[in-house]
Amino acid sequence: MRGLMSITESFRIALSAIMANKARGALTTLGIIIGIVAVITTMTAFNGMQNAFRQGFSSVGSDVIYVSRMPWIIMNDFFLYRNRPNLEMAEAEKLEANLQGKAIVNPSMDTQRDVKYESKRIDGIRIVGTTEKQTVVSTAVPDIGRFLMAFDVSYKKKVAVIGKEVSDGLFDTINPINKEIWIGRNKFRVVGVMEKQGGSTFGGPNFDRQIYIPISSYVKAFGGRRSTDVDIAIKAPSIESMEALEYQVIGEMRKVRKLRPSEDDNFSINKLDTLMGGFNSVMGVVLGLGLLVTSVALFVGGIGVMNVMFVSVTERTREIGIRKAIGAKRHSILLQFLFESAIICLLGGLIGILIASLLTAVINAVLMPASISVPILIVAVVVSVVVGVFAGLVPAWKGARLDPIEALRYE
Amino acid sequence: MNDLTAAKNKSLILSDVVKTYVMGTEKVHALRGVSINITRNEYVAIMGPSGSGKSTLMNVIGCLDVPTSGEYFLAGEPVAMMSESQLAETRNRMIGFVFQTFNLIPRADVFHNVEMPLIYGGMSRPERRARTEHAIERVGLTDRMHHKPNELSGGQRQRVAIARALVYEPSLILADEPTGNLDSKTGDEIMAMFDELHAAGQTIVVVTHEDYIAEHALRTIRLKDGLIEQDERHDKRRTQFTLPGAEPSEAHSAAGLESA
Ligand SMILES: Nc1ncnc2c1ncn2[C@@H]1O[C@H](COP(=O)(O)OP(=O)(O)O)[C@@H](O)[C@H]1O
Ligand SMILES: [Mg+2]
Repeated sequence: MRGLMSITESFRIALSAIMANKARGALTTLGIIIGIVAVITTMTAFNGMQNAFRQGFSSVGSDVIYVSRMPWIIMNDFFLYRNRPNLEMAEAEKLEANLQGKAIVNPSMDTQRDVKYESKRIDGIRIVGTTEKQTVVSTAVPDIGRFLMAFDVSYKKKVAVIGKEVSDGLFDTINPINKEIWIGRNKFRVVGVMEKQGGSTFGGPNFDRQIYIPISSYVKAFGGRRSTDVDIAIKAPSIESMEALEYQVIGEMRKVRKLRPSEDDNFSINKLDTLMGGFNSVMGVVLGLGLLVTSVALFVGGIGVMNVMFVSVTERTREIGIRKAIGAKRHSILLQFLFESAIICLLGGLIGILIASLLTAVINAVLMPASISVPILIVAVVVSVVVGVFAGLVPAWKGARLDPIEALRYE
Repeated sequence: MNDLTAAKNKSLILSDVVKTYVMGTEKVHALRGVSINITRNEYVAIMGPSGSGKSTLMNVIGCLDVPTSGEYFLAGEPVAMMSESQLAETRNRMIGFVFQTFNLIPRADVFHNVEMPLIYGGMSRPERRARTEHAIERVGLTDRMHHKPNELSGGQRQRVAIARALVYEPSLILADEPTGNLDSKTGDEIMAMFDELHAAGQTIVVVTHEDYIAEHALRTIRLKDGLIEQDERHDKRRTQFTLPGAEPSEAHSAAGLESA
């Protein structure tokens, strides 16, 4: 079309202007580089924390429903749950019977005890009383030896399957199998060591610092009045059947507890999803704050670019006059300068991505599993171009509006 | 209809053009009613003392500015009515500017400077290339095609500007003191180039305050206080003949309006 300059030409003119003043372009990009690095690292760090969190709870199967006295995430509504009755072993058994084999039901209890082997001692280990079905409701399997078996539970055997950290702490290089350890004031025989689960993150339990013992032995050894609270894990046959199972479990629990329709549930249903949801809502705030701070960095960077573009437009007043005299329209001049600031910012963004990649590699190596995802890259590129366009808008408009006669007269 | 056909045969018709600048409460009458006809392939010098309105007239003729009142037709198009964007398009297609200070883009080489009007004209790349190379060849700078302006002499720079002015084959080349920044020998070379372009059929208007430059033209219009003082035709060997009276109406008939 006659009289309409192509986009590629605007782009080339802008590029040649940047190339003619590389040093200034490079300085200008600095603010954008910092902003983009901040944005990417914030998002990558968030992503990494999410990954770490998920990994930390990887042994909590996503197809498992937990019935407990308390919800896993208590914000400021603790008083609502404080007076709830404990979940009893008998209730767990009734629930299992009522579900009629539609799902695998595993009751468990836990407490904290110090453990000891000869002179070695570790404080505050989580002791879990459970059954042989534990390996079905969680993905963890023993690395050495064996897990608990049905007869351990039936015969109240004083056997223990210990976590990797417990094993390392008590036994170091000695083979722990068949060694006798003290759990509180009770002696248990080690029959297996669980494979390493990865450390605890964000308040989640450290599965490497716990010991599994038969629930029957647990009740006998630690089952005072205060620690009879049972957690019931119920594994659905498939992820798809989770929702239906959840309703069924709620219904059966209400029957077991003989709740009237007007009464609220006095137990809680927990899932990995709830946990992730809680994590996301807390971290969402953190992410939001992080992004707010980084947008301020980007904003400052953008102001820097705007300043340079104002200088650039003023410096090239005469050039604008020449271009207008030979037929450039407003939009051609506007595009030229918009492209210029967008390209500068895009370059800054690309350099920022490069630096952020290095930073992410470092974070990945020393802190947590982090990686830059494609969506983050796209966001970074789009954000830098948008900042460029906005930063260039007012200066470019100023240039485009210049009167050609005045502009030509400019010295 | 006849008038319109006549208008189209003209390169340029200014009739009773007034340009008034308002400076606060004061009005500056830069042009007080100027009428000029310039036909195709004319070679006109505009002269006059400083402040007489030469630059203002140049700006109006070059479609950089519109008159306060009066009419202006360029190749039959009514310029006085044009929007800013239409003015830009008209400058692009019909006017080739040559400035005293060359006004090249310093970071662009000869080729890209000359190519620029074609870019704003939206022409395709291969066609641009052919035309640009041809224009550069016409001013004899083919061997300097990829030099930057600061690698060229003043005369060469002005030749680049001339190539840029003629690359789109404009109706009119408008030169404002084109030799003002050149020594007299180089100035002569540049004027010889205008003579050549004129001989090849180009319409040329040159603003100058030097008589020896004006002598290259075949018609001299003298301005004073925003009015035409004198409008005379002459040949190059100074055998000037002055038209009986310098009234714009006389200029009309001299330009051959009746022949249409
Ligand atoms: N943009 C402007 N604003 C106000 N006055 C102007 C402007 N341009 C020119 N003038 C005035 O108009 C008159 C004619 O100026 P100009 O056309 O530049 O004359 P010349 O080029 O012959 O010296 C002068 O008095 C000048 O001061
Ligand atoms: Mg002047």
